Amino acid sequence: MNWRITFLMFFAFSSAQADLRAPLSASERTNGAQTLTAVAALEKRIQIMTAPVIDAEGLTLSTASWVGSEGYFLTKASDTPKLERCKVLIRPSVTVAIREIHRSAVHDLVLAQAVGVSGLPALSFESKVRPARYGQWLVAPVKGGQSVRIGVISAQCRKILGGGAAMGVRMDEKTTGKGVRIAGIAEDSPAAAVGLLEDDVLLSLDGHTLNSYQKVHELVRDRQPGEQIEIVYRRSGKVAHVLLRLASRSKILQNWEGEDFANGGISIRTDNFAWVIQHDLPLSPQDMGSPLFDLEGHLLGINIARVDRITTFALPTEIFWPAFVPYLEADRHPPKALKAN
Amino acid sequence: MRFFFACILFCLCCQAQALESSSAKTTLADLLKIQQTIQTQLPLVQAAVVAIQTHDGTASGVMITEDGLILTAAHVAEKPGRQMRVILQDGKRVIATTLGLDQSADAALMQLNDNEVKWPCVKVSRHVFKIEVGQWCFALGHPGGFDKERGLVLRVGKVVKKTANSLQTDCVLMGGDSGGPLFNLDGEVIGIHSQIWEERDQNMHVSMAPFFRSWDDLKSSQIIHVWGTGSGGYLGVEMGSVEDAAVINVNRVAKGSAAEMAGLRSGDIILSLDGEPMQSQSQFLNAIRSRAADTDIHIQVQRSGNLIDLKARLGSLPKEDAA
Repeated sequence: MNWRITFLMFFAFSSAQADLRAPLSASERTNGAQTLTAVAALEKRIQIMTAPVIDAEGLTLSTASWVGSEGYFLTKASDTPKLERCKVLIRPSVTVAIREIHRSAVHDLVLAQAVGVSGLPALSFESKVRPARYGQWLVAPVKGGQSVRIGVISAQCRKILGGGAAMGVRMDEKTTGKGVRIAGIAEDSPAAAVGLLEDDVLLSLDGHTLNSYQKVHELVRDRQPGEQIEIVYRRSGKVAHVLLRLASRSKILQNWEGEDFANGGISIRTDNFAWVIQHDLPLSPQDMGSPLFDLEGHLLGINIARVDRITTFALPTEIFWPAFVPYLEADRHPPKALKAN
Repeated sequence: MRFFFACILFCLCCQAQALESSSAKTTLADLLKIQQTIQTQLPLVQAAVVAIQTHDGTASGVMITEDGLILTAAHVAEKPGRQMRVILQDGKRVIATTLGLDQSADAALMQLNDNEVKWPCVKVSRHVFKIEVGQWCFALGHPGGFDKERGLVLRVGKVVKKTANSLQTDCVLMGGDSGGPLFNLDGEVIGIHSQIWEERDQNMHVSMAPFFRSWDDLKSSQIIHVWGTGSGGYLGVEMGSVEDAAVINVNRVAKGSAAEMAGLRSGDIILSLDGEPMQSQSQFLNAIRSRAADTDIHIQVQRSGNLIDLKARLGSLPKEDAA
């Protein structure tokens, strides 16, 4: 696919460096403390409905939204492949183990339970579909509920087609014989994240021996962003292997030389959603999984992908919630064991 | 691909404007009122915003007259007389011709070739100096290019700073927004998207001032290299690259300028002004701009290892330097 080159400025004038001390103080800006006093009451209510999902090293991977008072939560699936090895940080320095219940590749959400907790303030899913109108204010918690941000619905709600998955490597098409030589690595890509380098030779993917670059395309094409793939490669004569998590192909192509000032990065999976609300709240990939509200505090959806400097996608509740209710109910009310005669 | 370069705003005249930002806290009712206003304005202004295809990318623009005059950024138009493809709200493609541009302020005009049609258009705010830091505004554009399903991308934010030629807002911009309009809550254009720095709040828009200042020249396809504007003094030196902003080296001396008459030469390094040591290019510029035209000044420069004292009488800024 040939990506349009978009652009915005570039002229380096030989002149004085502009003075960046901006007259409007940070607290007076759109997401500054003074402006956010408008949603202070709402902030108190919604910030307790989320918590960070952290890995073994304590790094935040995503945000959990409580959907049941007994510790049931939803979070972004592709950012939490090994969810049961993660923990939920329910209070500062209090972590709770996780039990995974249902993972949906379609919606990129996973339903799980923080084990042994109760009385949590869960989100209320209304049967009435709330309108999501262009230009409407929205509120969402950030950093697992430490504070909130505001922004607007910034484009038309729509379906986002899937462009498939990619590793972020350009392959030497002339390689013959055993393996495929890497000719280039995309910045911020899965390949870069696991330390693959130019001139490494890919030997196999998930046990499939590679003898042409087409074989690599074939193996990656049918996968989804967020899926893991095992790679065996050779570097200066030594063979090594690594587990790589695939990202959205569109994200990689668009950002081959790095994200465009996305400030905090973008999500691994950014496409293939049945319906999205697009908004301009300044969120991070780690905020995905958090709930999205209107100014009255009605739940509109779950933030699902940080796409670029100006874009976040949220899944409207009516799109995903009906698919999760049966799993939640089944888990709450497991079939009783039959008495032995 | 990385399409952005952290870029330096051309700003010979960025004296801080008087600030009038109220410290009053925003209320929920305030936000709801802004929402209602913007949702009322959107259907009225949307059809006037266009995408522009450049030779290697895409940008934005806004129609401001019924006969198809378009405001955009100079780095989109690049030069007068170019034929460019313009994409309307419904996806229809038409051709426009670039007119004049002000390269220093990044302002440009284009004209749709078909002026028999009544084009949808928006009003331009004539009250350039009434814009207040802290006032709400909204940005529209085609970031990443035209996408009919997605439509125009809206950003709502506040004016963070204003200079003589530009506005800075926290409406976050991206590649492809260039040339798109910034509106006040009355739905009038107050800026044209120009450039960004890395931080989210560093989004620069050309204000309407450069457009109004050079309106006739822009319409008659002139290229304008303005050194700056305002009522302050003017010396007429172009200084060195921004990498060494602490060194005030003279790159070029404008013909007929105060600097030329004083004997400044390219290659000189400016050390002090009226006995005050100059530490940076911006300090020097501000010091010059804060003195009135016709003020006599002393400059000490270093030239091939020697210290030289020069006397100059500041001029006033030439209105333009049409090529």
